Amino acid sequence: MNSFLLAGSLPPDFFGRILFILKNYGVSMAKGAGTTLLIAIVGTLIGCVIGFIVGLIQTIPINPNDSVAKKILLKIVNIILKIYVEVFRGTPMMVQAMFLHYGAMLLLNLHMDMWTSAFVIVSINTGAYMAETVRGGIFSVPLSQTEGAKAIGMTHVQTMLNVILPQALRNIMPQIGNNLIINIKDTCVLSCIGVVELFFTSKSVAGTYYTYFETFTITMVMYLIMTLFFSWLLRFFEKRMDGPAEYDLATTDTLAYTSGTLSDPRKDFVDDRHLSDAPHAGEDNMNNTRR
Amino acid sequence: MSDKKEIIEIKHLGKTFGKNEVLKDINFSINEGDVTCIIGASGSGKSTMLRCINLLETPTSGEILFKGNDITKEKNVAAYRAKVGMCFQSFNLFSNMTALKNCMVGPMKVLKKSKQEAEQDALFFLTKVGMAPFIKAKPKQLSGGQQQRVAIARALAMHPDVLLFDEPTSALDPQMVGEVLEVMKTLAKEGLTMIIVTHEMAFARDVSNHVVYMQDGVIWEEGTPQEIFGNPQKQETKDFLSRFINM
Repeated sequence: MNSFLLAGSLPPDFFGRILFILKNYGVSMAKGAGTTLLIAIVGTLIGCVIGFIVGLIQTIPINPNDSVAKKILLKIVNIILKIYVEVFRGTPMMVQAMFLHYGAMLLLNLHMDMWTSAFVIVSINTGAYMAETVRGGIFSVPLSQTEGAKAIGMTHVQTMLNVILPQALRNIMPQIGNNLIINIKDTCVLSCIGVVELFFTSKSVAGTYYTYFETFTITMVMYLIMTLFFSWLLRFFEKRMDGPAEYDLATTDTLAYTSGTLSDPRKDFVDDRHLSDAPHAGEDNMNNTRR
Repeated sequence: MSDKKEIIEIKHLGKTFGKNEVLKDINFSINEGDVTCIIGASGSGKSTMLRCINLLETPTSGEILFKGNDITKEKNVAAYRAKVGMCFQSFNLFSNMTALKNCMVGPMKVLKKSKQEAEQDALFFLTKVGMAPFIKAKPKQLSGGQQQRVAIARALAMHPDVLLFDEPTSALDPQMVGEVLEVMKTLAKEGLTMIIVTHEMAFARDVSNHVVYMQDGVIWEEGTPQEIFGNPQKQETKDFLSRFINM
């Protein structure tokens, strides 16, 4: 009855109702979107860290010369990680949310507040997916890169940190973007444990006036703006990671310095200043060094 | 040759991949300052033997003595590899780094040199191989010959006791082969100990002082270039060398 009366104050046309909702509930919906973004971004970041750690451990090679203890420990850790990945990849995030938030409360007498639960669930869920992605990323880097690193005496950790992971990270950037976008959308399942994110807010707003079509039109657009923005941002990061498509030949200054005189390079510069009149003095210097 | 110090000694080295016996009872030794060329047809086990020397392949049997220590039982493989440089057929430069960074990362991370020292050293060796102007280039922006020269500089920047070359010119066109061999000739003259798996017979004849001929995973013949190229003893060696008419 109450809602019927309120609905009477709604403008009669579609766009009028949209404006009405935005005016009255725009701020709370924006707050909901903020919560969505916060959980998605933090969850994806922590998830990436978990994924990198798990993926890295899973790709540690076992050498024949390693001690038995190391071999057994690695085997056990790998089994645990495998179970983690399969369980959290193979069950719905909504079920995990109910299971962890309410289950943990009853079983372990562990009272996680809503925010903690939300971050934990999105992080470990993303971590399970990212572990496989990172493993794939590591395998996507040619073996020749590992051999090149081994040949100059790098340990497994040094090889990973300096050579393999930077390249793997570049290769899995599209997948990280995928995960972030999936998380922006899928945080809506956290409404089941009472997280007031965009979907939860929208549902309340829509229910108040019985304006499901109008409210969720706004919600759709808000989700789309968020995902489009982040897919653009990640493309931008990818381009940045690729570095410039062209390179400059080294300047003559560097060469003069490296051609290894013991004198102060600046002094040479002052002494040779008259040479700068000569055309292509720099090129000559460069060619000399190449010979 | 005999008064020089022995640096690598290989004893009864064997390597099998499954049931495939790739190396059979390999015995030979390398002295300091030697330039050894290993020749033979593809699939004769040359590369596998070279890869066994820096443990990129784990030998199935036998010993490899490096300055008297058996490195097949070595626990710290990385520390040993830092003393033995390697240049690959496909260059294997780190594609996420510039030419300069490629030559700095080993000295900085493995030898723990300061950034400044590593950079000076890297620039010195890049200049030596004629790649100083290209320090800012990424590997994929360089030609094959240029990449191989950067790879040589990267190996040299570690100040290795021995430098291994696994068919360094096989992926290059004739002009690039020339520029890489030129660099290697310079290194040979400077007395760097090198073991080179190669199909460049003229280079093996002119630059090396020790030639090993391999076939079917066995060393058939070894000696000075004069002995192997001038007066080969085994029929197999003669047959193999007869295919290189333009020598």
